[in-house]
Amino acid sequence: MVNQGGGAVAVAQIPTSFGHELRACLRCRLVKTYDQFRESGCENCPFFQMEDDHERVVDCTTPNFTGLISVMDPTRSWAARWLRIGKFAPGCYTLAVSEALNPDLQNICEEEHVPYVLPKRV
Amino acid sequence: MPRRRDDYEDDVEEDDEYDGVDEEDDEADGYDDGGKVKRKRTTSDFIYDEAEEDEDEEEDDDDEDYGGGGGARRRGGGKRHKGASNFFDLEAQVDSDEEEEEEEGDDDFIDPGADIPDEDDRRMHRRPLLPREDEQEDVEEIERRIQERYARSLNVEYDDEATDVEQQALLPSVRDPKLWMVKCAIGREREVAVCLMQKCIDRGPELQIRSAVALDHLKNFIYIEADKEAHVKEAIKGMRNIFTGKIMLVPIKEMTDVLSVESKAIDISRDTWVRLKIGTYKGDLAKVVDVDNVRQRATVKVIPRVDLQALSNKLEGREVPKKKAFTPPARFMNIDEARELHIRVERRRDPATGDYFEKIEGMMFKDGFLYKNVSLKSLSTQNVQPTFDELEKFRQPGETGDGDMSSLSTLFANRKKGHFMKGDRVIVVKGDLRNLKGWVEKVEEDTVHIKPNEKGLPKTLAISDKDLCKYFEPGNHVKVVSGATEGATGMVVSVEGHVVNLVSDTTKELIRVFADNVVESSEVTSGVTKIGDYELHDLVVLDDNSFGVIIRVESEAFQVLKGVPERPDVALARLREIKYKVDKKIFAKDRFKNTLSVKDVVKILDGPCRGKQGPVEHIYKGVLFIYDRHHLEHAGFICVKSDSCMMVGGSRANGERNGNSLTSKFSHLRTPPRVPPSPMRPPRGGHGGHNNFGGRGGGRGHDALIGATVKIRLGHYKGCKGRVKDVKGSTVRIELESQMKVVAVDRSHISDNVNVTPSRETSRYGMGSETPMHPSRTPLHPYMTPMRDSGVTPYHDGMRTPMRDRAWNPYTPMSPPRDNWEDGNPGSWATSPQYQPGSPPSRAYEAPTPGSGWTNTPSNNYNEAGTPRDSGSAYANAPSPYLPSTPGGQPPMTPSSAYLPGTPGGQPMTPGSGGLDMMSPVVGADSEGPWFLPDILVNVRRPGDDTTPGVIREVLPDGSSKIALGSSGNGDVVTVLPNEIEVVPPRKLDKIKIMGGAHRGATGKLIGIDGTDGIVKVDDTLDVKILDMVSLAKLVQA
Repeated sequence: MVNQGGGAVAVAQIPTSFGHELRACLRCRLVKTYDQFRESGCENCPFFQMEDDHERVVDCTTPNFTGLISVMDPTRSWAARWLRIGKFAPGCYTLAVSEALNPDLQNICEEEHVPYVLPKRV
Repeated sequence: MPRRRDDYEDDVEEDDEYDGVDEEDDEADGYDDGGKVKRKRTTSDFIYDEAEEDEDEEEDDDDEDYGGGGGARRRGGGKRHKGASNFFDLEAQVDSDEEEEEEEGDDDFIDPGADIPDEDDRRMHRRPLLPREDEQEDVEEIERRIQERYARSLNVEYDDEATDVEQQALLPSVRDPKLWMVKCAIGREREVAVCLMQKCIDRGPELQIRSAVALDHLKNFIYIEADKEAHVKEAIKGMRNIFTGKIMLVPIKEMTDVLSVESKAIDISRDTWVRLKIGTYKGDLAKVVDVDNVRQRATVKVIPRVDLQALSNKLEGREVPKKKAFTPPARFMNIDEARELHIRVERRRDPATGDYFEKIEGMMFKDGFLYKNVSLKSLSTQNVQPTFDELEKFRQPGETGDGDMSSLSTLFANRKKGHFMKGDRVIVVKGDLRNLKGWVEKVEEDTVHIKPNEKGLPKTLAISDKDLCKYFEPGNHVKVVSGATEGATGMVVSVEGHVVNLVSDTTKELIRVFADNVVESSEVTSGVTKIGDYELHDLVVLDDNSFGVIIRVESEAFQVLKGVPERPDVALARLREIKYKVDKKIFAKDRFKNTLSVKDVVKILDGPCRGKQGPVEHIYKGVLFIYDRHHLEHAGFICVKSDSCMMVGGSRANGERNGNSLTSKFSHLRTPPRVPPSPMRPPRGGHGGHNNFGGRGGGRGHDALIGATVKIRLGHYKGCKGRVKDVKGSTVRIELESQMKVVAVDRSHISDNVNVTPSRETSRYGMGSETPMHPSRTPLHPYMTPMRDSGVTPYHDGMRTPMRDRAWNPYTPMSPPRDNWEDGNPGSWATSPQYQPGSPPSRAYEAPTPGSGWTNTPSNNYNEAGTPRDSGSAYANAPSPYLPSTPGGQPPMTPSSAYLPGTPGGQPMTPGSGGLDMMSPVVGADSEGPWFLPDILVNVRRPGDDTTPGVIREVLPDGSSKIALGSSGNGDVVTVLPNEIEVVPPRKLDKIKIMGGAHRGATGKLIGIDGTDGIVKVDDTLDVKILDMVSLAKLVQA
C-alpha cells in the first residue's frame, strides 16, 4: 500500500483480461495477467522481482486459483481481512490458490520477513 | 489500560498496537524518551504473553469504545510521528534481534499475534477518515513499518498454521460491512468483479463498496461488500453485465461460507494419475505426460476407446451411424489392425520429446496408448484412486517395478493425514537412501523420522513422507485401509515392489493392493461380505435381467459372475444395479435327466471347465453355478448349463441319500429315514440304518440313488414312493413306502425328486426321518452361514479345523474316563455317553448294544466320508478321535436318535453324547426344535384352549405333529405346531421314550428319578441309563 501522493492509495494493476491468461501470485494471491506480472511484477511482493526475471513469474504465480475478489478498500473490507489480504494493495485477488511457493521462494519471503502462508490442504 | 492512555496520550494508538504484539507495558516508560532507552526485552516477557492475552482483549474493547475518537487519536498520532518513527526503528531492530525467541516463545501458547491483524485492520479502518494531506510521508513510513512489523508477527502465526481459532477472531460482526448478492450475466462474474474494481479506481472514494467477489462455482451472481445497500446500488449503476433488479443481503452467519473455497490441493504435474471428467473417456484413468500451465492444457495418456471400424467407415465416406450412447471399450490401439482397415497411419516424431507417435486421424498413439491433449479443467485429480486393474493395464510390458514406483509415488499425494504411524515399517523409495528399510519413529508434518534397519546409520533419519512407502513382508497380517478392498484383512503372501499380495481372510482370494493402502493389523475382519441385502455368493438378478453369483464384494460394488455358461463373464454391479436376490429352490435336469437341486454334486461334462466337479450352489434358468474349490477363478464358481453336467453321487436335497453327500456325515446322526412310518425300521433298530450303512459299507455308495427316496413315475407302481434299496443296471429296487415290499422298477421310471409332490413340500428332508433329518440338516445351516457371514466358507480348507474343533471339543474331556472305564469295549462306551458316574457300568458291556453291532461299519463310514469330493469330509474326519473307541456304526445310528433333543434342554443333559454335542450349537441356537417323536404323551396348548393331553402320532416334516388327542391317544387327530406342544414328563415306572441323546427313539422304563436325571432301563438292551429328564417323554403305545 504505497501512497502515490495526492491521497489515493496505490492500487495494484487490474487484470486487463478475464480469461486463461490470468495468474495469481502465490504469496499474496494478487490476480493479474501473465503479461502484467512480467512487466511490472507483483505490487505486494516486489522482492520476487518478477519484472526482472520472467522465469520468476512462472514460479511465483499460478494459473490455478479459485474465485476472484476485487478489493477496493482492503482496510475496511471484512472479506479482505478474512482472507488475510487486508494489508495488501487494493486490487483483484483470488480466494485461494492451490500450489505452494517453492522452497527457494519461501526462503526469500523469510529473508524479507514477509509472511507466507501455505495454501490450506483440503 | 487507562493508565497508559493517560500517561502516553500521544502514543495511544501505537501502544495499543504494540501491546498486541509485545506486551511491553512495563517498558512503556522507555518510549516516552523518544525511544532512546534501550529496551530490555527478555524472553521472560513472552512468557507473560499468554497471561496478558486478556488484557489485550480488553484493549480491543477499549478500542471499539474509542471508535468515535479515532480521528482525534489519529491526529495525535500524526503529531508525534517523529518520536514514533524513532521508536519504530528501534522496535524493528529489537525485533529482528529477537525474532527467533519470539517465534519460539509463541509456539507454545496462543499466539498473541492472532489478534494483531485484526487490530491492525481496525486501526486502518479509521485511517481514511483522517485528513491525510499534511503528514503523508511519515504516516506512510509508519504504516510501512507497522506493516512490516506485523507482517513478521503474522509470519509467526502462519508458521504455526493459522488455526480455526485464530481465524475465528476474524469472524464478521455487525460492525463489519455486509455482503450483498447481485445478479450478473452468466459467465461474466469475474469480469464484473474486475470492472467494479476499475470503476472504483476511476471514481475514487465516492463508491463506497469494499470488495466484489466472483466465485467460480456460483454462476449468475457476484457478491459485493458494502455497508449499505445504497452503496451497492450506487456502484452497480450503469454496469453492463449486472442486473440491478434485486440485491440480496447475505446473512452474517453465511458470510464466511461465501469466502470459503476449497483450493485444489493437488496440482497436475507429470506422472500424476488423473481421471477425465468429460467426453468419451469420462471416468477413465489417465496419466499426465505433459502439462502446459500457461495454456492450461495437459497431455495425458489413456487407453484408447477408438472404434476402428467406425473410423474406417468414416474415412471411406461410408455412412456412420450416429450411436451416441455407445462408447467403444477401452483397449490398446493396434496399429496393424488399423492398417488392415485401410486407415492411414502416419508416423510422426514429436519435435519436443523426440518420441515417435502413430498418428491416426489427428489422434496420437504410442505403445497402444492414446496421447490426448486436454484442458486442465477437464481433469479430475481428487480421489483418483486408481484400482489395481487399471494400473496394471497402464504398466508397460517392459516396465519393471521401478518405473511403476515413480508413478506410484504420485499416488502418495493422495494420502490422508496420519498416513504413517509410529512403528510402521517403511522403505525409502526415492533419493540416495532408496531401498533403506526402517521403522517410523516420529511423524511430523511432512517429515517422517525413521529408525533405519541398517547398521552404521544415524539413529533416526528424517525423510520426507513423499519418499517413503510402507513396507511389508510375507507373513504379515494386514488390513486394507483404502481402495476398493478397504476393510479386508489377510495375510501377506508375497510382495512385489510396492504391491502386496494378500490372501483375504474372508474369501481366501488373493488381493493385490498397494503397500501404501495397507496397515499391519492383527484384526481379522470379514471384510465386506454384504452390501444391502446382498451377500457374497448370493444369486442375484441384475438390471438388465441377466443374473449371476456375487463372487466378490467390494466397497461399493459387487463382482458378479454372470450366468453365461459359454464363457466366464464377470461384471461389476453396483447395489442399485441389482434387482433382487434369487432365493427360490429351483431345480434343473442334468444331461441324464436327473433332477439337480442345490448342493448336489455334479461333474461338468463339456465346456471349458470340463472335468471339474463340485456342489451346485445355485440354479437359475437352467444354468448351474457350481462351486469347485479347486477352481481358482471367480471365487471357485463355475457357471455351466445344467445339461452339460452329470450328477455325481446322490442328490443332497433328498435326505435319505447317503452317498457322499454333505449330509452323509450327519447321516449317522439321524434316525434312518422313514423310520416312524415303517415298522420294519424301528428308530433305533439296525435294519433301517442298515440300508444306509450297509450300502456304504458295501461300497455301493457310489450309486447316488441308493437310499434315495424316489417316486415312481411310470408303470404299475406309478405314484408310489419308496426308498431305493439297490441299483442294478437300469433296474432299481425300491422299497415301497406304502406296501412294505421291494419292487424292481426301471430306472427311467423314477423321479428322484419327491418334493415335486405338493403334499410333500419338504419331504426331501426325508419324510419319515423328517424329524431327525432336521437336526441333521441344521448343521448344514451353521455350516453354510459362516461361509457368508464370517467368511468361513466351510469348503475352504482352512476353516474346517476350527469348525471341527468347536464341534468336537466336548469329547476331549471325556476321553480319559473312557479309557479308564472301558478299555475293552469302546463300542459300548460310545453308545453310552450317559455313563455318568453312578450309572451301572456293567450294563455297558452288554453285547447287544447297537454300537457293537456296528463295529465294522465305522471304517466304511469313515472312508466314505473321507472321499475328497465329499465337501464335508471335515466333519467326517472330525469324529475320528471318537471313532476308534466308538465303532463307527454307533455314531451313525445312535446319535441319530440321540440327536434330536426333544427339548432344547436336551443338550446340556448329554455332555458326552457325540452326536448331540456336535449339534449342540444348532440345538441351542435353533428355533426349529423341539423334535418330537411319535407315541409320546404331550400336552397341547392351543391359544384360547386349555391344555389337552394328546399322543403324537406322526411328526411332520415341517416340525408340526399330528396328535391324537386324549391321554391315551384315542381322540381326534389334530395337527399342532411344535411350539404348542409340551412334553409330559414321565413319572417313575412310566414307560418312556427317549427323545434326545444317543438313544433317541428308544423306549424304556423310568425306574427312578434323581433330581433332573432319570434312571432308565432301555427296553432293547436292558441297559440302565441315566438320562436327563427333559429328554424323556411318556410313551403311549397306540
